[in-house]
Amino acid sequence: MMRPLPLAACLALAAALSVAVVTAQTPASPATAPAEAKPAEAAPTPATAAPAAPATPVGNPQAGRTLAYTCQGCHGVEGYKNAYPSFHVPRIGGQSAEYLAQALTEYKKGNRKHPTMQAQAQSFSDQDIADLSAYLSSVK
Amino acid sequence: MSNAVHAQRLAIALLAALALAACSQNNEVAAEDPGHASGEHGSSSSAGLPEGHIAAGEKRSQVKSEATKQSCIDCHGAEGNKPIDPTYPKLGGQYGDYIAHALQAYRAGDRQNPQMTPQAAALTDQEISDLAAYFGSRPTQLRDLHGLD
Repeated sequence: MMRPLPLAACLALAAALSVAVVTAQTPASPATAPAEAKPAEAAPTPATAAPAAPATPVGNPQAGRTLAYTCQGCHGVEGYKNAYPSFHVPRIGGQSAEYLAQALTEYKKGNRKHPTMQAQAQSFSDQDIADLSAYLSSVK
Repeated sequence: MSNAVHAQRLAIALLAALALAACSQNNEVAAEDPGHASGEHGSSSSAGLPEGHIAAGEKRSQVKSEATKQSCIDCHGAEGNKPIDPTYPKLGGQYGDYIAHALQAYRAGDRQNPQMTPQAAALTDQEISDLAAYFGSRPTQLRDLHGLD
């Protein structure tokens, strides 16, 4: 007598929950891909960004110096090692600005693969990459 | 009555499975947390490479490859310190295990470059270790970022 009611209630709950899971995934997916989120935020102002975009941005070492604080977490620790596979995080200070910009751009595009570096590079604009490269190439 | 209990248990199990599925998706996000240094996808570890020899690496660095007709130093310059193109990295004094990792990634196809992919394709594990030992031992223009203000 009581059977159909709890069964129906449970099925309804399960269905509602699975719908909730599916809808929760939809807004979550842009959040897991910061690279997609940033251009979307920048989209309202393409008119101002467009003239600068075609030319390679000129790097500003002072701006790059501020941005480079985040690099210190791994590249600023002497002898710091990447885990799985194990190797030293490379020395990047003094490398040419052109090489550094190329490396960051390759990470940003996903052509060069490293979870941490891809995530970092995706958070940088082309101007940020130019600024960082200008700064890192200049450190003695 | 007992059927109702079974149905409830089934529903609980179903909900638990759904909850687990949701949690496991969160774990994938956590694995990409930029706060952790984690490896390049698909690359084999540089651990397990044979011991490198500097003298052998110095010789190998001057050998022109079949594929590109270029040697390491033809492009990266003497001791890896004078690249002929600004987009080519300096290798002198770079960490040897990082150089070995980069060469392995090129050889495996995990990292792509028009010159380096064919250049690394023919290298043996021993040659990678030797080259890494050689370039890692050279004077350097590179530095870590510690001690910068």
